[in-house]
Amino acid sequence: MADLLLLPVLLPLAGAVATAVLPWRRTVGLTVAAAQLGFAVAAVVAVLRDGPLRGSPGGWEPPLGIALRLDGLGAAVGLLAAVVVLAVLGHAVARPAAAGGPSAWPLTLVTVAGLQAVLVSGDLFTTYVALELMTVGAVGLVALGGRRALAPALRYLCVAVLGSFAFLVAVALVHARTGTLTLELAAGALPPGPALGTVLALATVGLGVKAVLAPLHAWLPDAHAAAPTTVSPLLSALVVKGSLVVLVRLWSALGGHAGLAVVLAVLGSGAVLWGGVLALRQDRLKRLVAYSTVAQVGYLVLLLPLALPALDPAAPDGARTGALLAWEGALLLLLAHGLAKAALFLAAGTLVGVAGGDRVADLAGTATRAPMVVLTFGVAGACLAGLPPSLGFTGKWRMLEGAVTSGAWWAVAVLLVGGLLTASATARVLGVALRPDPDPAAARRGVPAGARWPALTLAVLAVGTGVGSAWLVDLLLVGAVPAG
Amino acid sequence: MSAPDTFLVLGAVVTLLGAARLLTTRDHLRQIIALNVAGAGTLLVLVALGSEGTGTADPVLQALALTGIVITVAVTGLALVLVRRVDAAAADADADGDGDGHG
Amino acid sequence: MTALLDVLLAAAVLVAAVATLLAPRAGSGVLLFLVLGLLLVLVWARLGAPDVALAEAAIASGATGALLVSAVTGRRPPAEPDRARRSWAALLPLGAAAAAGALLGGVLVRARRDGAGPGRLGDLAREADGVVSHPVTTVLLDLRALDTLLEIAVLTAAVLAALALHRDGTLAAVALPADTRPVLRGFVHLAVPLVLLLVGWFLVAGSSRPGGAFQAGALLAGAALLLALTGRRDLVPTGRWLPPAVVVGLAGFLALAGGTRLLAGTWLALAPPWGAAAVLALEAVLVVAIGAGLAALVLAARPDRRVAAPTPPADAAPAPDRQAPR
Repeated sequence: MADLLLLPVLLPLAGAVATAVLPWRRTVGLTVAAAQLGFAVAAVVAVLRDGPLRGSPGGWEPPLGIALRLDGLGAAVGLLAAVVVLAVLGHAVARPAAAGGPSAWPLTLVTVAGLQAVLVSGDLFTTYVALELMTVGAVGLVALGGRRALAPALRYLCVAVLGSFAFLVAVALVHARTGTLTLELAAGALPPGPALGTVLALATVGLGVKAVLAPLHAWLPDAHAAAPTTVSPLLSALVVKGSLVVLVRLWSALGGHAGLAVVLAVLGSGAVLWGGVLALRQDRLKRLVAYSTVAQVGYLVLLLPLALPALDPAAPDGARTGALLAWEGALLLLLAHGLAKAALFLAAGTLVGVAGGDRVADLAGTATRAPMVVLTFGVAGACLAGLPPSLGFTGKWRMLEGAVTSGAWWAVAVLLVGGLLTASATARVLGVALRPDPDPAAARRGVPAGARWPALTLAVLAVGTGVGSAWLVDLLLVGAVPAG
Repeated sequence: MSAPDTFLVLGAVVTLLGAARLLTTRDHLRQIIALNVAGAGTLLVLVALGSEGTGTADPVLQALALTGIVITVAVTGLALVLVRRVDAAAADADADGDGDGHG
Repeated sequence: MTALLDVLLAAAVLVAAVATLLAPRAGSGVLLFLVLGLLLVLVWARLGAPDVALAEAAIASGATGALLVSAVTGRRPPAEPDRARRSWAALLPLGAAAAAGALLGGVLVRARRDGAGPGRLGDLAREADGVVSHPVTTVLLDLRALDTLLEIAVLTAAVLAALALHRDGTLAAVALPADTRPVLRGFVHLAVPLVLLLVGWFLVAGSSRPGGAFQAGALLAGAALLLALTGRRDLVPTGRWLPPAVVVGLAGFLALAGGTRLLAGTWLALAPPWGAAAVLALEAVLVVAIGAGLAALVLAARPDRRVAAPTPPADAAPAPDRQAPR
């Protein structure tokens, strides 16, 4: 069992070492990515069959040693990561100019290893180290975007490390109260009170900052606008999700907090609406897509207040049912957003190259010049907006159902308005892209065939997995606290 | 208050002071200094929380603090490289190049 | 009496921290940060944490200090005058933060008192039958070896990210004006062998008493910087040998992980006959990687030499950084 937990962490690290000193970067990178997909599928199968995977390196059992634990959520995000990374590296091989140079290979692999370590860690301190690994790798990737990317990269680094410190104080507090760093062992041992409230508040602030929860999101659009094309999908689809997974696990293990839930409801709703409005108002394509990430993080954060009754055994049945539906829906949305946003960023980066400029207005005529890329953008955008039959629709519908069941009408309103805003942003881009080419005779750069397929595959997956997503729901519930 | 309690409160105050300064200053180098002050406060909390008074501190927490120190210095090193690059880019953008450094 | 000393020490730390944060010039902020580091060494000693005290001196103050001093001395644009913002606008958030910190401290103090017996994990670790006798080293390289592996990965990633901002991903193009004053060179000739001796001592000592790869690595970085900045660049890897030197620690750790899995059947499991030797060998590789990495981070802040137009605007003569490890 420990092999499936540790190989996805150690193999990319070995790949990072190899790509840092050896010339065969593509071969090593693609081999590692393919192996990661194999591990991820095997882990999903094993988790569905046997429940959460456990292990402890060195043979030291927790609490003394480090507990490794892969639940259904972790396995699902691991699969998402493997698919996205393979697609991104495929794109990088087909269009090397989109990748940010040779250093992008080791930095990508390090970031992947950090995310995997976050997913398999059942130990709070290991989680802190893993989050830092992911952050440093991601900052290095952003900085590859050249001069304009440096300041956002620095801002990201400072804010993310500050978030880590907050998380670390929370970890120290858990250890002081429970005598353990293993989340599962600490879960039952922390009674409600100021200590629990402080732990959750610190962890929520720290992880929220790392996951770009508004209002601390200012660096993100700048970073995305300047980052290489293949970096944006990694950042938005994966790195942000790593912190969210930790936040969800911590909340569900420790039982949540009603007062904090209200704050998160306000922040999450604000992020959905504010991010949606700002996305609509952007002139530049990559900034538009980046602001939509701010909005999407809002949805995922709404998970915590909406799912609160599911963590409370004393809550009435109706509220628990609704909360569980919202929990499942939001996590489906997390996966949908990962696939769709990665496709969207790859397509946007390609479109900027085709259009010769990064303004939305420059896109006129791209639908005739690069129809597949525009199609990819449209399909992925539809998934983000929650149109049927996409995974985004399945997730949002379930979340809505949950909100209605538990009578959270404010959330229903936020979800509907947010979806409308996302749909309008996508429609605006498509509307420009479908306009006739202003200068059909001009010499244009084409898109290499290999660069079209990875993004389209992701977009198709984002729609296709919405049909028959019952297995995903089953997977997400394995080892989850709300499932009991 | 016992020694760990004193340093525990101190750690919490220093952490938040550093965080506040990091978020309010616009000078990149000062941000990094503030980040390190906050980091020192965090480690103080970590070790003091597990300390039994005088004598020897918890070896596990000492090990965690060591790990935290190394990570913080790695992050600081990367951040300072970025600071230099950002400052240089800003100086190039200003194009007047009248900076003479402090050296 | 000791309580009074504690309060005085805490007050000194607080004053140093506030002064560091509010220093009118970045340069004085750096110097005050070094003072803060010295005070913290006393705090760690007072809390009975000698390993942390050593690491604070060697890494948190030593290496970070070298990084900050180097950043301040090489700064091209003069620091944005922050004084205008220093009145109420700057003090208000700090005051609020101090108040919030005191509240948080109160919660922490209470949590420490009704905790589940602090040190429970620590007692387990002291009793654990590791392959080395010093409990902190046991925790770092045996009980929680995965943490240390990931930590080395963080350091490696930070150095690779910094190198990525230079031509060819190395520091070969970085200009290092040599300070060739005879007094300094004499000092270096004396200091470097001594530092290397100390590196060896820390490395070997780590298995039975405070010390270890990280402190030794920080010292090695100091020696490397002394050499690089006094004209002996040829002794320090800055070109194509730099990436291998930086990743060798992570590679060694991964080899240990893979080797234990293949030979002993368990990832990172250390057993008595060869375990202590394996730990020592691993630490030796880590020292090289940490030394190379920290030195590279200091040097990577310097700009590359320009290729085409030789128009260095105030690029000349950044003062040599005499950050001798003490």
